[in-house]
Amino acid sequence: MPHPVIARALEQGRGFLLEPESYALCQTYGIPHAPFATCRTSEEAVAAADRMGYPVVLKVVSPYILHKSDVGGVVVGLRSGEEVAAAYPQLLEAVSRAAPQASVEGVLVQRMQRGSAELVVGGLVDPQFGPVVMVGAGGILVELLRDVSFRLAPLDLEEALEQLAETRAYRLLQGLRGRPPADLRAVGELLVRVGELLLAEQDIQELDLNPVVAGPEGCVAVDARVVLRTYGPAGRFPLA
Amino acid sequence: MPDLGEAPRADRNLDALFRPRGVAVVGASPDPGSPGHQILRFATQTHFPGPVYPVHPSAREVGGLRAYPSILEIPGPVDLVVLAVPARVCVEVARQVAQRHDERGDAVAVVVVSGGFAETETPEGRALQEALLEPLRPRGIRLVGPNCMGVLDAHTGVTTTFDLGTYPEGGLALVTQSGAFAISFLQWARPLGMVGLSKLVSVGNMADVDLTELVRYLGSDPHTRVIGVYMEGLRDARAFVLAAGEVTRKKPVVVYKAGRTELGARAASSHTGSLAGQDEIYEGAFRQAGVLRARRVSEFYDLVRVLEKLPLPSGNRVCVCSAIGGPGTICVDEVAASGVLQMAHLSDEVREALRGVLAPTATIGRPDGYLDMTGSIRAQTHGEVLRVVLEAPEVDAVLLLTTPPAFLDEEEVAEAILDAYRAQPEPRKPVLPVLTFGDTVARARRRLEAGGLPTFELPDAAVQALAQVVRYVRYRARRSS
Repeated sequence: MPHPVIARALEQGRGFLLEPESYALCQTYGIPHAPFATCRTSEEAVAAADRMGYPVVLKVVSPYILHKSDVGGVVVGLRSGEEVAAAYPQLLEAVSRAAPQASVEGVLVQRMQRGSAELVVGGLVDPQFGPVVMVGAGGILVELLRDVSFRLAPLDLEEALEQLAETRAYRLLQGLRGRPPADLRAVGELLVRVGELLLAEQDIQELDLNPVVAGPEGCVAVDARVVLRTYGPAGRFPLA
Repeated sequence: MPDLGEAPRADRNLDALFRPRGVAVVGASPDPGSPGHQILRFATQTHFPGPVYPVHPSAREVGGLRAYPSILEIPGPVDLVVLAVPARVCVEVARQVAQRHDERGDAVAVVVVSGGFAETETPEGRALQEALLEPLRPRGIRLVGPNCMGVLDAHTGVTTTFDLGTYPEGGLALVTQSGAFAISFLQWARPLGMVGLSKLVSVGNMADVDLTELVRYLGSDPHTRVIGVYMEGLRDARAFVLAAGEVTRKKPVVVYKAGRTELGARAASSHTGSLAGQDEIYEGAFRQAGVLRARRVSEFYDLVRVLEKLPLPSGNRVCVCSAIGGPGTICVDEVAASGVLQMAHLSDEVREALRGVLAPTATIGRPDGYLDMTGSIRAQTHGEVLRVVLEAPEVDAVLLLTTPPAFLDEEEVAEAILDAYRAQPEPRKPVLPVLTFGDTVARARRRLEAGGLPTFELPDAAVQALAQVVRYVRYRARRSS
């Protein structure tokens, strides 16, 4: 039985999960993610941000948009209720300009996370290897460094820690230049669980947690993208 | 490694590739310029007890042996059939193999040397490959190739290759998606006696028998100490990782993986019709399975021969004993940079013992674990120093650098080293002699190699090979704990 959020996406003929759905999936498999709220009005967003504390990020939620930042659907570094209130309509306007046909379900508010290092964690079903788990330096460094290490799923904690130690990001995690060392075990456990998720949910083609912020108290995914193997009617989803 | 799935067992019909009760060579032509003729010549020149049967449509005799018009006419048992005829003819002969198998129960393995199948990447080529397999598959008759050099077993003397007749026996098994890659290595290693071979299988298009099955088979082959693999790509790479992960608990597997780049992958595709796959996943999967990946061809050469000859060290502490300054320094650098080796911390007792055998000008332990024995060293001193450091519990492996100097008898130096190496109680510690000065020290190197020590010309290469061996030792320790 596929996870309810996957079942719903497939029913709708949608080839990917919305960000809140991806978090729900993560939740089920014990993959930690940053707390968030999906809001429908600017007032709701301000209230959610006040509750979480600042700074926050706003992200568009739409079944038609997979790459949110490509359509102006992400605003980061908002430091007050005023800034959130101002950014909310601007974000919706930018999205409707870039993707006029895309209906919007809401705006996701999330407190920005700080840690020792930003990682990218991925999972995919490779034609030759089957389910594999990837980890590397995250954020914009992914493209620059190509600092990634792979393992076949399933993997145990010891193997996940070996995998992590092969990346250059490992030195960041150990606490470079006086930064506090990150909780390596927490990152290792996250990798193990991504492997378990891939094996259990056979409809997933690709999972992208980028970035995962790791610090002394653990690690959290602050963005999650899940692409399904079974696509709906060609060309319907996503538009961007 | 955690349970990645069920692994199938190796098929005993593969035994027929290496220990057949008779070999038929179809396409064994009287024309000395043909591959079939050469295969027959090699097959009859080795110590393989035979019999070998040439099959030719018209000739009554080929290479001094009675020839048969078809495999169906051969009287005695024929377990292995070698095909070196055009692709279309191979398909016909495959049907005869099936018929013979049904009638007599032999003909259980086939090697198809010929090309013109799936590697052409044409619908015709693919169809021919399917047609070739069609009568064999349901009968469990195993096929190596097509488009390959086939099999060589140095112990039984079986050979189906047209490039190599026989080879000195030993513990290295090579399985390869390129016959040329494997034979290039073997011919390179031959003059100094740098490696001994157990089995060679060139798999070609892998229509049936593939790298995965062979690695599993060789994992339980008593003659094989180390498995070297040249790989371009696999349809089911997960199955390979699973098989290799089991084998590396018992013996090392070294892989050179080609097709790393997009262009290289395209070349691989037209060579053996393989999908090269994403290189970074291969990298991680090899590590997960304890497979040693050689990044350069020379590294593959060095790793397989070191693993074939030497015992595994029990730790990572290295003593560098050098009669030659610069290369000694280079080794210390490489040890420090390896990320896995460390210089041995020599005790006062060991330093004292070394002072007793070395010249007063020699420096001991600057830095720790490094001995500059000086260029004025005598032949016997090599052995005396080696005995002391091999006895030291704080040393796991020794790099011994010498030229040897022109004023010494090079074979005497080699014997002194070998005597000290052999005097160790089991399990022995590995010794890697580095002899620079090229061909001028070939006699010493040949003697050392014959005595079981892999020699190096380049100091950095020796340290890098040792570092990989230690990585494997650590993997095994991690897995068995």
